[in-house]
Amino acid sequence: MRTGFKLLIISTISLFLFLISSSLIHSQSFWEGYHSPEQANNVLTETAQNHPDITRVHTLAQSPGGRELLVLEIGPEVNSEEKSLPAILVVANMEGVIPITTEASLKLVDLVIEENAADNKTWYILPNGNPDAAVRFFQSPLRKDVRNEFPVNDDMDDQVGEDGPEDINGDGFVTTMRYKHPQGEWIPVDGEPRLMRRADRAKGERGIYKIHSEGIDNDGDGQINEDPTGGINVNRNFPHLFREFTATGGAWPGSTPEARGIFEFVFSRPEIAMTFSLGETNFALQPPRGGRQGSADFQNIQIPESFADQIGADPNATYTMDEVIRMVEPLAPPGFEITESVVASFLGLGAVVNPMQEDLVFYNELADRYKEYLEEHGFSTDRLSPAAAKDGSFELWSYYHLGIPTFSMDFWTLPEFREETEDEDSGLTPEKIGEMSDEEFVDLGEETIGQFLEEVGAPAQFSAAQVIGMVQGGMLTTSRIAEMLAQMPGGSPASPDGASAEDKALIAWVDNELNGEGFIEWSEFDHPDLGTVEIGGPIPFVKNTPPYVMVDSLLSVQVPWIVTLSEKMARLNIMSTDTEYLGGGIHRVTAWIENENYLPFPTAMGVRNQNPKPAQIFLQANGLDFIEGRERTLIESLGGMEAKKFTWLVRSPETRLLQLRLETTHAWSDRSQIELGGSR
Amino acid sequence: MKFIYTLILALLLAAAGTISLNAQKSSINVPLPFDRYYDLEDLYKAIEVLNEAFPELTTAEVITQSEEGRDVWAFTINNPETGDHLAKPGVYVDGNIHGNEIQATEVVLYLMNYLLTNYGEVEKITELVDRNAFYFVPSVNVDGRYHFFNNANTPSTNRGLRVPGDGIRDAVSDRSISNDLNNDGSITQMRKRDPFGQWNTHPEDPRLMVRAEPGEFGEWTLLGQERYDITEDTQISEDAERYVDPNRDWGSNWAPPYVQRGAGDYPFMGNVSKAIAEYMVGRPNIIMVFAFHNTGGMFLRGPGTKARGPLNPSDVAVYDILGENAEKIVPGYDYLISWKDLYSTYGDFTEFTYNTIGAFSFVGELFMARQETYAAYEDLMSADHESLGFGTTTEQDLQRLKFNDNVAHGTLFKEWEPFDHPIYGEIEIGGWAKMSTRISHPFMLKDMAHRNAAAVLFAAAQTPKVEMEITRNERIDDNLNRVRVRLVNHNAIPTMTNHAVQNQLYPQDMLTAEGNNIRVVAGGRVTDRYRDRVNYKEHRPELQFLRVPGTSVVYYDFLVEGNGELTINYNSRKAGQRTANTTIN
Repeated sequence: MRTGFKLLIISTISLFLFLISSSLIHSQSFWEGYHSPEQANNVLTETAQNHPDITRVHTLAQSPGGRELLVLEIGPEVNSEEKSLPAILVVANMEGVIPITTEASLKLVDLVIEENAADNKTWYILPNGNPDAAVRFFQSPLRKDVRNEFPVNDDMDDQVGEDGPEDINGDGFVTTMRYKHPQGEWIPVDGEPRLMRRADRAKGERGIYKIHSEGIDNDGDGQINEDPTGGINVNRNFPHLFREFTATGGAWPGSTPEARGIFEFVFSRPEIAMTFSLGETNFALQPPRGGRQGSADFQNIQIPESFADQIGADPNATYTMDEVIRMVEPLAPPGFEITESVVASFLGLGAVVNPMQEDLVFYNELADRYKEYLEEHGFSTDRLSPAAAKDGSFELWSYYHLGIPTFSMDFWTLPEFREETEDEDSGLTPEKIGEMSDEEFVDLGEETIGQFLEEVGAPAQFSAAQVIGMVQGGMLTTSRIAEMLAQMPGGSPASPDGASAEDKALIAWVDNELNGEGFIEWSEFDHPDLGTVEIGGPIPFVKNTPPYVMVDSLLSVQVPWIVTLSEKMARLNIMSTDTEYLGGGIHRVTAWIENENYLPFPTAMGVRNQNPKPAQIFLQANGLDFIEGRERTLIESLGGMEAKKFTWLVRSPETRLLQLRLETTHAWSDRSQIELGGSR
Repeated sequence: MKFIYTLILALLLAAAGTISLNAQKSSINVPLPFDRYYDLEDLYKAIEVLNEAFPELTTAEVITQSEEGRDVWAFTINNPETGDHLAKPGVYVDGNIHGNEIQATEVVLYLMNYLLTNYGEVEKITELVDRNAFYFVPSVNVDGRYHFFNNANTPSTNRGLRVPGDGIRDAVSDRSISNDLNNDGSITQMRKRDPFGQWNTHPEDPRLMVRAEPGEFGEWTLLGQERYDITEDTQISEDAERYVDPNRDWGSNWAPPYVQRGAGDYPFMGNVSKAIAEYMVGRPNIIMVFAFHNTGGMFLRGPGTKARGPLNPSDVAVYDILGENAEKIVPGYDYLISWKDLYSTYGDFTEFTYNTIGAFSFVGELFMARQETYAAYEDLMSADHESLGFGTTTEQDLQRLKFNDNVAHGTLFKEWEPFDHPIYGEIEIGGWAKMSTRISHPFMLKDMAHRNAAAVLFAAAQTPKVEMEITRNERIDDNLNRVRVRLVNHNAIPTMTNHAVQNQLYPQDMLTAEGNNIRVVAGGRVTDRYRDRVNYKEHRPELQFLRVPGTSVVYYDFLVEGNGELTINYNSRKAGQRTANTTIN
């Protein structure tokens, strides 16, 4: 009658949870002040009421849990659907578990209005991209989960969402259970038994504990918490490198309404010239990562055998895109244009998966500016690194598919823990090395590298000189070093007590800043499925969410950088015009068009994917006759701080005054008049 | 009888040569006529008359509106007396996702008509209808179909969705700006006499153009499709369309336009692809999919790109049975792998239906130019069947012109005729008509439709047919019985694709044992039925998860205690439900 007994336990626990959840707001008062999704939406609607001339609220989507995703539009054109000014889209908390990003978006709303940052552009600000997940931070018991409420049968059984985690010891938090098990892999950290680490079998250690999230086996299938309510992580449901068949990615890109709503919102607004994603990654500090295999390389295309025959190519040779186009062109039916995209899709060359070199130039330069800015403001950057962007995320989609400058920003990670050792620490971590270029690594010098190799316990045969030699010789790269170190036994970086850098940072943070409040001491509990367990560990969100008192000082330095970056977006102007009379009634008209700002129009990725709309120049007058050139000319790209010359040969029998218009969807517009000189 | 009468009549009419593409159309009644192509209004009418003639067996519903507001219809054939449609293996068939590939619709209509008019008359058909649920979307791209019939076209235009262009980049593109200069309903080719030309007429047939020998000038310049040259036009064509291919719009291995020409801005941008995806998600019983296109004479399966890697081998074995038989049912058609034998595609429909819906999926490419013959039987048999995929050889074209003259009586080719072009001056306009090249003369329609419908029915007959039986119930201890359940799948298609199991598209089939006063002590899959070896499931033994492969038998044992009636339920999304009872005492 074990089943009956379990049912009794489950209902008792549910009843208990029900009773406490109605009265208990989790005890962590240091987080009071954060805005729930509902409160954030209220801030937007109130702002819209207070500033009706420059703000407007849009409903972007409704989450599967029935929550509205509101976007606040700020700008001088709120009352017209067609925009003449460029716009910036800012999305926040797409994973739904980073409450500070919602605060940052609300801070940005204030800043844009106060500082008049929307006087010549439009801002679209979405404080919660995943409100179903975000609301959990404001519920009790406190639980962290990126899933929205889209029903997903995680364990592929006869019920959906029936076995999620619970706060079984009723302390208000879903934390961690550890329990002794013959197959346990974990042991407490020496000198800090609150922390756990994996036993190192190579050193003869044997694991003691298994660890698991807090909860019970609700559906009696022998697994605990394997099918929580929901759902999809909105920030894995975008089409760039979307991963099929994952637990939280969704069945297809846009299968959850929040992501789909963003697609439709963005593609119906060609004025969007730039995006920001406020989350756990930071392209403002660390450019999007490269080094991925499988990028379509248009300089070295190999033609599959089946096609090589038809187009007269050598299947063993490689060709450039231009060469392939020239080979295919004679075979195309008349009128059919052979473009890069035709060839790429015919040969199945695939998507671009690494950032374009030209774009990394501005990303790196702006990251340097940002570091200087933070330094000037006395803002410590000694913190754990922002996360790397994930496949299927908004920020990668925005960079690769929209082809416009895309910045992500994170606002807080745990301060880096520094060992108090006599020797000065090398200051290096495998992560840091992975982010360095090979040259930067070599420039560190033999001494620093040697010290680091010792710190991580690298085998003796790897001397600093050898490693430097291998990097210089191209046999080893910084990313490979980081990878190798990550695979070394004992985790990285190795340290006397074996705890990970994150755990050490966490425990220092909890003890020094939170008076221990962010960590639940392990205590015994009689678990219905597992017998005696200990429940404890860091409370949810303690690793990524600072006390509310810190929020203002964190955001008042970092959020203004969004406005600073926004001022760098491409702006096209008519720089100068000129005419020359050639005789016979023919004039040469010249116009210089410039991009007066720093960021390119569009990004190199945008040139490649042809998504952003090109600019158009119109040269017009009654009866104007074009000898060379046309009334309408497209400008596909214009680099930051660059100018391009455009010329026409015209006859203008009716008027000496020509109208020159520069029109863009997302880089402002300009116009000018040109007076023809000389004889008609 | 009626059916045969129509057939004979059609043959007589064809022989008399009175059917031409412009001939008086027969009226649309049941049984549906297949002596003609159905324009969109005809299609709506056909759906209506079939639905009215067979109200018990059919459901017709509008699943969405197209970009231009036209209705997209879905049609279900299910016999409610043999069960709810969701409780039977679902067979989904559509066509005409490319607006110009019109005869795909007639194949779907033919199949609908054939199933309904033969139900109760032909045993095999009756069994197919009683055992399966059939879902049809006869024309996916209704805007394309409408514009293909109602406007001048080449055989290949009006393929995509009617998505407006951006007025910027699309506006300079002249790919969709063609004009029927001579108002003959077809957009054909323009040629101009030119002493420095690259082309000559073929010595055997001056209608055919061949390239001049290297080192020589020819007598003609080809100017491409009939049109005014938009680039000389100061009017910017505001209504230029963007090319969005509805068969690159599906959310499996989708790629943006710079990777996959014809993709939209994001997956399921088109109204109809989004609606069909939702339609299929709401019909989890669909296990077999056919999507008809033209051209080439092929049955294609995935994957669409090499990077996807080969399909699951046990699924390939099933595909092979279906594909190899389809090749025989439709002579000349080849069973091929999309990326390898044709070209790479991202985000196509059958990629989605196999990968995300979990259905065995074929694209049927209708029409083979080499069937337009003008050759004696012996010569045909000995001919070298060289083909160029979608293209034709000069030899084939010479034969096709004679076929046009003597079999189709001039309806497939527009003779070259002089025209005074505003830009090019004296030119000639002529070439293959709209209703040619990828579309056969209607006299060939019915044979083609029947054979392709038969290929679908072969697959439909192989959808999983599971029988469940309790083969043992014996007391093995004081208060313990062993109950053995046998599940037999008589057909080639498994109850789930292996891909669906491995990638956890949805829960596996479930087998449950329950009864009042009965407790299931243990249960599991029998690994050796002679020695009673069983893999007992550790938790919830009363609930087993399984898949029954094609033409296979699986056994499950339950050890139960108590007294009373034990009910065994088998519940499969795609193979239906089965129940069996036994008494425990």
